[in-house]
Amino acid sequence: RILMSVTEIRSGFTAIKANIQARDPIRTLSILSHPQSLHKVKSSDRCCIIHNLFNFYMDKVFKHCQTEDSYINRKISSIANSFLSIKKKLEQCHNQNKCLCGQESTEKFKQILANYEGLNITSAAIKSLGELDILLDWMEKSR
Amino acid sequence: MKNVLHWSAPEGTGDGVLYKVKYSVYGVGKWIRKPECRNINRTWCDLSNETADYEEQYYASVKAFLNGMCSDWMETTRFNPLTDTKIDPPMVNVSSTEKSISIILTAPEKWKRSPDGESVSLLQVYPGLQYNVSVLNKKTKKRWFFSVSNNTLVVPWLEPGTAYCVSAQIHVTTPLLHSGFSKEYCIATLKDKTA
Repeated sequence: RILMSVTEIRSGFTAIKANIQARDPIRTLSILSHPQSLHKVKSSDRCCIIHNLFNFYMDKVFKHCQTEDSYINRKISSIANSFLSIKKKLEQCHNQNKCLCGQESTEKFKQILANYEGLNITSAAIKSLGELDILLDWMEKSR
Repeated sequence: MKNVLHWSAPEGTGDGVLYKVKYSVYGVGKWIRKPECRNINRTWCDLSNETADYEEQYYASVKAFLNGMCSDWMETTRFNPLTDTKIDPPMVNVSSTEKSISIILTAPEKWKRSPDGESVSLLQVYPGLQYNVSVLNKKTKKRWFFSVSNNTLVVPWLEPGTAYCVSAQIHVTTPLLHSGFSKEYCIATLKDKTA
């Protein structure tokens, strides 16, 4: 079920990628990939980072990404729904203590939040949404 | 992942226009000039070397010059080498027995900086890489399709002494990418010795 949701997220994002990324004029900052790349996360920290990032997108990104385009908004909410179904699955892992957060992943996630808080909410949310492929590429590469 | 930037010449300028190119890594502050694409009159620039790290994303930008005047920098959209790419078909090797065909598939390699550079198979880049294989019975025109994750396939219960043609395509599930089908490789099953 998780694989299907990731595929749904990927196709939903592909449909709005150009539009959303065009709304983000800041080339010199990234929420997810700089200064520390997701690709440097140890495999033991993966579950914790994914768990935190899904909460991050649900709590701080999707709700602040309203646009004037109803098609884009529909795609965003369908992506959010797919996130929600994965998040529920991850909760089970988290509750069974299979998703422990090490020092490194805690630091990494703090960096992501700092990147996010360095911008105003709307810009940070749109930038985060525009970086969904960075998250998906990382998740799929190391699954 | 051979990544070549292409652009169109400004309208109505004819010959004599020169260009220069710069690129940047998304999330990193600085633009980087591409010396080999400075004061060029062609309308493309190979940035494969600069965009070889497919864990990063990139922007590129081009400026035109003519008779002492210059254009604004024209910028690309954000480029993701992993998803914004085309995949070549796989290589197909076939061999046969009386009643079966064995097919060995080889995914293309990722673009490399130099011929003696390290080879990276697309299988390492795309963990979700699969092969779609088509097998055609030339006599009956019957066609089968198979989808396989590993790179070998044996098709059993075939007719002896019959020609079969095999073609294959690469299919990546996420991100959703697929190559065209390879050309057809035809082979005949061996004749039935008992007949």
